[in-house]
Amino acid sequence: MSVLPLPGAEAAADEVATEPVPQARRRRGLPGFLRRPGGVFGAGWLVLVVVASLSAPLWRPYEPGQQDTANRLALPSAEHWLGTDPLGRDLLSRIFTAGALPLLASALMLVVAFGIGLPLALVAAERGRRVERVISRATEVFLALPATILLLAVIGVIGNRLYPVMAVMGVLISAAVYRVLLGVAQSVRQRLYVDAARVNGLGSLRVNLVHVLPSMATVVAVQAAQLFGIGLLVVAGLAFLGFGPGEPEPSWGFMIQDASGYIYNAPWLMVPTGLVLALTVVAANELADALAGRAAAPTVRRRRRPLRRAVQAVTPATPADPEAVLEVRDLTVSVDDGPDLVTGVSFSLRQGQVLGLVGESGCGKTMTARSLLGLLPDGVAVTGGSIRWQGRELAGLTEREIDRVRGREIAMISQEPMVALDPMFSIATQLVGPIRRFRGVGRKQARRIAAELLRNVGIVDAQRVLRSHPHQLSGGMAQRVCIALALTGEPRLLVADEPTTALDVTVQAEILSLLRALVRDTGLSVVLVSHDLGVVADICDTVAVMYAGEVVESGTAAAVLDAPAHPYTMALLGANPHVPEGEPVPERLASIAGTVPPPGSWPAGCRFASRCRFAEERCTAPFPALPAHDTGSVLCIRVDELSREHATWEPESAGDETHVQPTPTAGVPA
Amino acid sequence: MAAVPAAATGPLLDTPDTRTQMLAYVARRLALAVGTLLAAVLITFLLVHASDSSPGAVRLGPGATAEAVAAENEALGWNRPLYAQFLDYVGALFRGDLGTSLIDGRDIAADLADRLPVTASIAFLATLLSGVVGVLLGVTAAVRGGRLGKGITTGSGVALSLPAFWVGILLVYLISLQLGWLPATGYVDFSADPAAWLQSLLLPVLTLTVGGAAIVARTANAGMREALAQEHVRTLRAMGTPPWRIRYVHALRYASVPVVSTLGIQFIALFGGSVIIENLFALPGLGQASQAAATASDFPALVGVVVVATAVVVVINLLLDLLVAALDPKVRAA
Repeated sequence: MSVLPLPGAEAAADEVATEPVPQARRRRGLPGFLRRPGGVFGAGWLVLVVVASLSAPLWRPYEPGQQDTANRLALPSAEHWLGTDPLGRDLLSRIFTAGALPLLASALMLVVAFGIGLPLALVAAERGRRVERVISRATEVFLALPATILLLAVIGVIGNRLYPVMAVMGVLISAAVYRVLLGVAQSVRQRLYVDAARVNGLGSLRVNLVHVLPSMATVVAVQAAQLFGIGLLVVAGLAFLGFGPGEPEPSWGFMIQDASGYIYNAPWLMVPTGLVLALTVVAANELADALAGRAAAPTVRRRRRPLRRAVQAVTPATPADPEAVLEVRDLTVSVDDGPDLVTGVSFSLRQGQVLGLVGESGCGKTMTARSLLGLLPDGVAVTGGSIRWQGRELAGLTEREIDRVRGREIAMISQEPMVALDPMFSIATQLVGPIRRFRGVGRKQARRIAAELLRNVGIVDAQRVLRSHPHQLSGGMAQRVCIALALTGEPRLLVADEPTTALDVTVQAEILSLLRALVRDTGLSVVLVSHDLGVVADICDTVAVMYAGEVVESGTAAAVLDAPAHPYTMALLGANPHVPEGEPVPERLASIAGTVPPPGSWPAGCRFASRCRFAEERCTAPFPALPAHDTGSVLCIRVDELSREHATWEPESAGDETHVQPTPTAGVPA
Repeated sequence: MAAVPAAATGPLLDTPDTRTQMLAYVARRLALAVGTLLAAVLITFLLVHASDSSPGAVRLGPGATAEAVAAENEALGWNRPLYAQFLDYVGALFRGDLGTSLIDGRDIAADLADRLPVTASIAFLATLLSGVVGVLLGVTAAVRGGRLGKGITTGSGVALSLPAFWVGILLVYLISLQLGWLPATGYVDFSADPAAWLQSLLLPVLTLTVGGAAIVARTANAGMREALAQEHVRTLRAMGTPPWRIRYVHALRYASVPVVSTLGIQFIALFGGSVIIENLFALPGLGQASQAAATASDFPALVGVVVVATAVVVVINLLLDLLVAALDPKVRAA
């Protein structure tokens, strides 16, 4: 008879609350739950039990009280399909005759619980903080009451009357209903369309009926199914204790109580009733799971990285830069049994230099960067090419092998410093662990090193930060801590994936100059992923511009940014809002029409052709990359003509709405 | 390193001292606990007074005349103003006095004090076992995944739906009757024979653990999966943190908050649900007392059981809140 609170329903509430398109979900949801085996079983069995129980007087083979004294405690037979009880009464008839009461009483409990909980949740979500607080405190008190014992007290006072008792149960449980629904109602209300509806002058009741309630339908259904099962258990439990319909009326709980007295000589007796009750509750829960869509959650199974297909076969086509510490050649990253995400990417990096990987969102920059550390998402793997790090091949290493490289030789900082640190542990703990592991020092010594590292990344109040937890840090401070963490293993290469994107502009500059200082002072090499050409111009020595999973242009940052050879680079520069000092601010920015084609739909020829102003017929056929910018390359068949013509990607003519067009525009943070 | 730029603005967000935060948090929770207890007393008190029966009628039994019942009620103070009776009751409550039974005149506080340890041990042991088994199963399901994970998920979905009293009977049949390992029913006092005490509790505890472990396993499974999908796990992997450390130090710690909450809720649920299990296994606990009081409409005993049970729930909730606050740094600030 455990009652509160319903973890499943809350999970469902979370799910719906984060679901961006509730309408679509709902429409798919109704037939959706019947596509899951649990949902089919749950709905099917519930319908069967409800119909069979309510119609029992019409079809039952015996009257529930009819005694067959010659056939007491009988096993299943042709006459008594489920056997008989100690008085020779037919179990099948009794079970389904008894079914109507728990089903109806449980339904009554649901009506009361939602009748109270739902309006309260809607009111609390609508009327704001103070009303919500009062209601929430009151329900917290209700939640803390021991429901079963209180129910017995109610029975002691009003007597053995099941429907009123279950109504009281509904009142008690409405607190749990309120709690789950409040969260959903609040998140629905926060969505824009509810506000829009209110602005349009719809009354409060109509807003609730038309906009809020439909979005809550899934959660209400999930919770109702779960509570229905609980209600059945409560009714049966009460009857088991003797607070149900008295003999000779049949009831599930009492039939099981009765059976418990015969387990010595007639163990079968406890099977049919218990099984029907158990199956019905299981069915209600399975239905709830299917409604919540939880059964579909894939079981996480970290598959062993598929061995690379062509990695060994590759010998660098162009002679490797002898001074390079990192040499990536023809890197291909693919989804298992799916499209390639990155193809034929090559670049190299010398010690103490910064390489920028630039391009719009969805061009494969992050996948490329993460493949350096073997940190690709599940189901994505390096399937070709080579990643040589200080003469050693990293592509195709096992988890265990690459674990020795991670942190020690190559470290990483990510886009969202606020979630990159473990919220449960203090900064000190998170720094001391890796320091001890990497440097083999004691706890005290490690803590000293941690403080020193924090000071090295510009944190003045190192001791205080060490004592803090991540949620107490600002974004810029958290990114500094992340950099300090990355430095614990004294790596030679830092992979920085959009390290400043999530930060305030002033903090961005601080973090960039910190990175620059680290490179200058320690000889660290950096692979910097960015969509921001200003950042690249600021800090990078070399640049690889990526488009649709491949490098379209590379070379020194100065050469590429000053004299872009590829139309895509020209377009990116034209769309870049950063203005060099002393130059006039342009009235309008250039834009690139269209979007990056998704993986799997890339054309055979130039992947940028469909958006390129200079595209011609021959751009649609495959062609090789050409050398450019001394050490770099460019992937454009018209590169010579364009450079002869001094082609640039200028803003569109006046009247174009480039400057107000929000998406998709290169240069705008994604 | 010479010219590292320092953080220019606002090194830390403004956070009041952690200790003050914690104290304020404890104070809020304490107030809620006291409020809950008073609410429970008030609700049952009003419930009893809303009854169409009366303590006099209960004490004298069905054969009594109306006059005799009225006289008895007068003697019991039933006709005094409600607030006076309530204040008296609360006053007595503070002295640990829960009144006497209408049926046999026994002291209710003393009776419940004898029964509380029985129910509390069952609930405590069952919670403990549910925690151990549930966490093992849930973490295994989340970490291993595959067919084993699916099996555990499905199995726990079924197990948490089974009626405890039916599971109890099945276990008695299997373990006591078929295997003969344990006594089916009855209770041995701890002071009389600790080994026999544990033995007499084992079946009820196992019975409650079936559902309890299933619920904990679900929570642990979901919590571990959520933890392993967190962004900071990628940071840990990027630092070459050994997989066992990621799973059993970082992810488990993250999942511990929902698991501990669930365990607390489990304890409360098992405490309340003990009525049925005590009935099935003939254990002299609170549940049995509340069943007897309900059957006999023994009003003072009813109120007493509700008060004691609520007090236990409130104390557990309080401990739970403190434990969660200690585990989760963010809760203290909330």
